[in-house]
Amino acid sequence: MGQPVLLRHVREPDQGEIEAYERRGGYAALRRAVREMTPEQVTDLVDRAQLRGRGGAGFPTGRKWKFVPKDAPVKYLVVNADEGEPGTFKDRTLLEGDPHLLVEGIALAAYANGVRTAYVYMRREFSEARRRLERAIAQAYERGYLGRKILGTDFSLDVYVHPGAGAYIAGEETALLESLEGRRAMPRLKPPYFPAVMGLYEKPTVLNNVETLCCVPWIVREGPEWWLEQGPPQLYSVSGHVQRPQVVEAPLGTPARELIARAGGVRGGRRVKAFYPGGTSSRPLTAQHLDVPLRHEELAKLGSMLGSAAVIVMDETTDMVKVIARVCEFYRDESCGKCTPCREGTVWVTQILDRILHGRGRWEDLDLLASLARNMTGTCFCPLGESVPPSLRAGLEDFREEFEAYIRAAREPVHMPVRLHLGAPAPGG
Amino acid sequence: MATVTLTIDGQTVTVPKGTTVYHAARQLGIEIPIFCYHDRMPPLGACRMCFVQVEKMPRLQTSCTLEAQEGMVVWTESPEVVEARRAILEFLLINHPLDCPICDKGGECPLQDNTFRYGPGASRFVEPKRHFPKAVRLSPVLTLDRERCILCWRCTRFGEVVAGDHALKGHDRGYRTHIDTPPVTLERPSKFIGNTIAICPVGALTSGVYRFRARPWDNRPTPSVCTHCGVGCAIWVDARGGEVVRVRAREKPELNDIWLCDAGFFGYDYTNHPDRLTTPFVRRHGVLREATWDEALELVARALQAASPAVGLLGGERLTMEEAYLLGRLFRSLGSNHLDARVDAAFTPPLPAYVWGAGPFHALDEAGVLVLVGCDLSEDYPVLWLRAKRALGRGAVGVAVAPKRVEVSPYLRCTVVPRYGTEADVLYAAARLAAEGKGSVPEGLDSVDVASSCLRAGVREEAVGELAESLGGRGPVVFLVGRLSLDGPEPERVLAAVQTLRAVCGGELWLLHGKGNAVGAALAGLAPDALPGLSPLQDPMARSRVREVWGFDPPADPGLPAPAMLEAAAAGRLRVLYVAGADPARDSPDRSLWQRARDGLEFLVVTDLFWTETARQADVVLPALSSFERSGTVANLEARPQRIAPSRMGPPGARSDLEIVQMVADRLGRPMEYASVEAVWEEIRRLVPGLQLDSPYPLPRPQPQVDVRVPPPGAGDAGLVVVPAAPLFRNGEMARRCRGLPELAGQPTVGVHPQDAAGLGLADGAEAEAQLEGVAARVRVRVTEDVAPGHVLVPVGFPELPRGLWVGGRRRLSLRLQGLQAPATLGSQGTSDGPSGERAHLEDPR
Repeated sequence: MGQPVLLRHVREPDQGEIEAYERRGGYAALRRAVREMTPEQVTDLVDRAQLRGRGGAGFPTGRKWKFVPKDAPVKYLVVNADEGEPGTFKDRTLLEGDPHLLVEGIALAAYANGVRTAYVYMRREFSEARRRLERAIAQAYERGYLGRKILGTDFSLDVYVHPGAGAYIAGEETALLESLEGRRAMPRLKPPYFPAVMGLYEKPTVLNNVETLCCVPWIVREGPEWWLEQGPPQLYSVSGHVQRPQVVEAPLGTPARELIARAGGVRGGRRVKAFYPGGTSSRPLTAQHLDVPLRHEELAKLGSMLGSAAVIVMDETTDMVKVIARVCEFYRDESCGKCTPCREGTVWVTQILDRILHGRGRWEDLDLLASLARNMTGTCFCPLGESVPPSLRAGLEDFREEFEAYIRAAREPVHMPVRLHLGAPAPGG
Repeated sequence: MATVTLTIDGQTVTVPKGTTVYHAARQLGIEIPIFCYHDRMPPLGACRMCFVQVEKMPRLQTSCTLEAQEGMVVWTESPEVVEARRAILEFLLINHPLDCPICDKGGECPLQDNTFRYGPGASRFVEPKRHFPKAVRLSPVLTLDRERCILCWRCTRFGEVVAGDHALKGHDRGYRTHIDTPPVTLERPSKFIGNTIAICPVGALTSGVYRFRARPWDNRPTPSVCTHCGVGCAIWVDARGGEVVRVRAREKPELNDIWLCDAGFFGYDYTNHPDRLTTPFVRRHGVLREATWDEALELVARALQAASPAVGLLGGERLTMEEAYLLGRLFRSLGSNHLDARVDAAFTPPLPAYVWGAGPFHALDEAGVLVLVGCDLSEDYPVLWLRAKRALGRGAVGVAVAPKRVEVSPYLRCTVVPRYGTEADVLYAAARLAAEGKGSVPEGLDSVDVASSCLRAGVREEAVGELAESLGGRGPVVFLVGRLSLDGPEPERVLAAVQTLRAVCGGELWLLHGKGNAVGAALAGLAPDALPGLSPLQDPMARSRVREVWGFDPPADPGLPAPAMLEAAAAGRLRVLYVAGADPARDSPDRSLWQRARDGLEFLVVTDLFWTETARQADVVLPALSSFERSGTVANLEARPQRIAPSRMGPPGARSDLEIVQMVADRLGRPMEYASVEAVWEEIRRLVPGLQLDSPYPLPRPQPQVDVRVPPPGAGDAGLVVVPAAPLFRNGEMARRCRGLPELAGQPTVGVHPQDAAGLGLADGAEAEAQLEGVAARVRVRVTEDVAPGHVLVPVGFPELPRGLWVGGRRRLSLRLQGLQAPATLGSQGTSDGPSGERAHLEDPR
C-alpha cells in the first residue's frame, strides 16, 4: 500500500494556508485545466477515472455531469457538506485538514460544467470546518483562483458557504436545495426536480459531495489511470468498538477486517458481532462478512450498501435490540414528516422496540415489525424512511434470539401507560 | 396535440402527453384514492395513497405524480396495490383520534371514505396515540385539530401556490410535524383561509363559525351566488333548521373556480342575526315606531305621489336585477330618472361608456400585462386576484400605479406609488415613454414632459420607465382601474390618461368599482342616464321597446346621479328619497352632503335588514330580505347574470324588495303584476336583447384616444394628505354581525410613512390625535411604506373612526397628527361643529 492520496496532507498543520497547498502541488490541476483543457476534457477525465459519488448513492460522477444541459445560461454547483449519516466523518476531516483541496475541486467541477456560482451547504455543527473553508476561499479569491477572470481566462466563479439548520434530511440532495432556497428541508419530486435539469432555483445544478470533489484535483493532476492504480482511493470512516476510531484511506473494496485492523483492532481484544458497512442506513452485517470487499456490487448482493462508507463496528458485548432501537429513533427524529410511511412508520417501530426493551414485548411483535419493515419498503418518498427496514430486517433475521430473549423475559402485559404529549399542554390539562 | 396510449386494468385509454396516470385512470372511470393530490395544485406525492403497479417498473408508483407513457401497462387493484393502500391507511390511522362522531367533517370526509373502501378492518396498533393540545384557534375563523391532521400539505401548498399568502406552514419535523401559522406574524390575516378548510381531507381545519353547528347530512344545500364584492362567486348555501350554517364554493371554472374569499366563506351569519328588522317602522312625532305594512306602504305611496317627479332612488348593490328593474320602472312611471346604484361614489361618470364593470374575467387567462391603476385588487375583489395571480404565475407581468402600495405588489414587476391624485401624471409619462419606445409619439402626447410629470407625482423616472417598458410586446394588456383612483380627487384625468395609454399600447379597460349587483342594477335600468340594457335615454329604438312593454314613455331628460341627487335634496329640489338596501348616511363620500340632503328631504324611505345609520334617520323603514332568503338574478362585474335562490325563510314580517316595490306600485295605482320572478326576468330580457343567464353581457367601452389633460393647479396641503382605502375586512353593518369577521377586521390603524412618523415622533403602534376640519379623533398609527411620504392611509368602513376623517367627496383632505402620551382607548372622540359634524345616533326605537 502506497502513500495515501486524499488524506496525504490533512495532518500537515499549515495545509490550510494557500502557500503550503500550492507548494505541495495545489492548484496546478486548476491552472492546467483552465488554460489547456476544454470543459469536456475535464469531464472526460472524471468519467474515465470511474469516480462514483461519495455521498451515499454512489452514482458515477462523470455521467452526472453529462446530464447537465451544456447550453443553459444559468447553472449552479452545490456542494453537499451536510455530512450527517451516523458514523460518517470523512468530509469533516477533509474540510478541516485540506480545505483548498475542496476549493480546487469546486473550481474544476464548475469549469467542467460551465458554472459561475457555487454554494457549499455545510452542516451547521461544522464551525471549525466552516471557518477554515471560508479562509481558504478568501485566499483563493486573492490569488485569482476564484472570482472574475480566473487565472486570466474567461472563466469566473463565485463560491458561497451556507450553513444548514441541523436537519439530517437536508443531506438528501433535493431537500438540501429546498433548504438552500430558504424553505423547509423536504425532498422534492423527481421528476421534474432532477437537480441536473431543475435544481437550485429551478436551474440546472451539479450536486456533489465533499469527498467526491476532493478526488477531482488528483484525477486531473495525475490522470485517471494513475487514480485507478491507487485503488481507487476511498475514505472509510471507521468507528464503534475499535481502539482508534479514524478515517482510513484504503483502496475501494478493502474488507472490514483490514479496516478494523488499521483502526487498532476491536477494543479489549474482543470479537466482532456485527458492523454497519455504510452508515446506519445500510443493512448491518455479521462477523461472517468481515472479509467481504466493501464495494458497491458485493454489498448490494448482501442486501446492504457502501453508502457513505461509514464502518460502525460492534463487538460481542453489544445488545443488538438496543442498537436497532437507537437507529430507528434516529430516523424517527430526523424524518421530515412529508410522507406517510416514514413519518408514521418510524414512530410506530420505535414504540414497539421501546416496549420490547422495557419488558412488555409480545411474540406477535416480531411479525408486526417484519410487516412494518415490508410496508416501509418501496413506499417512502425518499431514502430516509427506507433506511429503517434494513436494520430491522437484519435484527429479525440475524439476531432474532436477542429479540426473543427480551420477549421471553417480558413480565408486564401491554397496556397504554403514558400519553405522549407534544407541544404545550392543553389549557386545563 | 401529442397523445399517448396506455392500458389500465386491461382497458386501453389515449390521453394527451403529460397526463398523469391518475387522471388517465379517472378518464376510464377508475377511481384511485388520494389525499395530498389536489388538481388545482401540482402533484406532491407525499401521502403515498395513490399507488399503482406498473409493469416493468421495480416498485409501486404514485399515480398522481407518474406521467402516462406510451404502452404503459398499469394495474390499480393488484394484490400489491391493495396491500400497500391498506398499509398507508393503517399508518394514517394509528395516530388519528377516530373521533368521527364529533367531527365536523364526518360524513363528507375523504379519510372516512377511503378507509371504508380501502382500509384495513382492524388496527394492529396497541401503543399510546400521539397527542397534541386540541382545538387550537389559529384565527378568529380557523380552528386546527392537529391530532386529526394527516399532513397532506394541501393547506400549506394552497398558501404557497394558489393564494400566495403563506398563511399556514409545516412546523417541527418527523412525527412531531404539525401545521401552524408561520413563525413570523403576517402583517394581515389571510383573505382565503376558508379554502384550506374546504380542501382539508380530514377534520383538522375547521371553520370557527360552522364548528359543531351541523352534521353535513342534515344540511340542505342551495346553489346561489355570493353578493358581497361584485365578483359574484358561485356558492352552495347550507341551511339547517331555517338557519344558514355554512357557505361553500360552487365549482365554476370561468368565475371563482373552486375558491371563495373569507368575506364570502364566513360572511353569512348576519342573515340569522336577532338584530334583523322584522316589522315596518314609521316616524310619528319625531320618533320611529312600529307600524303595519299597510300603514307604512300607504305613507310611502302618498309621499311618492305627492312629490313626483321630484323623487329619487338610491341603491342597487344589494338588490336583484328584477328588483332594480321594477324600481326603475316605477320611478320612471312617476316621471323621474333620478336612479342610481353608485351610492358610495363621488365620481359618477356618464353612462354607458364608463359604466362600472369588467370584460369577461377569463381575459386574464390570456393577458400578457395587467396594469392595476388605483386598484387594490386583493382587498376589493379577492377571488379575481386569484385568477390574476394565476396569470402572473404563467408568465404575465403585473404593474401597479396607485396612491398606496397595493397588497399584491410583491407579485408585481413594478409598483409606483405617486402622490395622491397624480396617478394620471405617471400614466401620461409612461404613455410618452412607451410611444417613444415604439418610435412615434402621437399628436397631443408630445406635450407631456416626462421629467416634470414624474416630479409632480413624486416618483423616480426609472420606475416609470420600467412601467412603460413592461407594457409592450407581452401580449394583451388589461387595465384594471379601481376605487383608489376612481374615488380619488382626479378620476376624469386618470381615465383620460388610461385612454391615452390604451391608444399607445392597446388593452382592455376594466372599471373595478361596485359591490354585489351594482353592475346588474345599472344593466336593469337603475341609471340616471340609461334605459335597461344601458341604452342611451334618447335612443329611439330603446325608447320604443320600453314604451311597448311599459305602456308609457320614460322621461327623456337625464336624471341626477347619486351625489347630484343629494345636492338637489339639500336644495329642496328633490323631495322624496327611496333608499333600497343602501346606507348613504355612512357610505356617501361627502360627509357634509348627506346631512344637508337629509335635512332638505321631505320624506325618506329605507328598506334594509338592520338599523343602519340611514334607517335611523328615515321616515319609513321597511324590513327586507337578505340574499339568502329570496330568488332573483344578480350580475357581477362582468355583467354575468346568475340566479340566487332562497336557502331559508326570512324573518316573519320582512318582505323582499320585489314584493315591496310591487305593493307600493299597487298603492300608486300602477300595479305591476307578474306570475313569478322568472316573468320579471323574461321582461328584462325583452328589453335587453342578448342578455342571458350566466353569460357576460358585453359592456360598452369608449374607443382609446390620446387625451392629455393638464393637471389642476396644486393647492398647498396643510398636513398629511388623506388616502382613504377600504380593506376587505371592515366593520360594516353586515360584517360586524358575522362571527369572526370583526376580529379579522381588527382595530383600524392609520398608516404613516416612516419619514413622517419620524418627523412627528410617532412610533409604530403609537396613539395620536388626528385633527381634520373640526373633527378630532384618537387613532392608532401604523408606520408603513405603503403610502408616499406626506400621506396618511386611512381605512374606510370602521365605525371606530369618524367618517369625517376620510370622506370629503372629491376634495383632497389633509389632517394633522399629534402624538399622545397617555394611553387611551381608541375611537372617536366625536367633537363636532357645524353641519358637518357627526349626528348623534338615534335611540334604537325598539
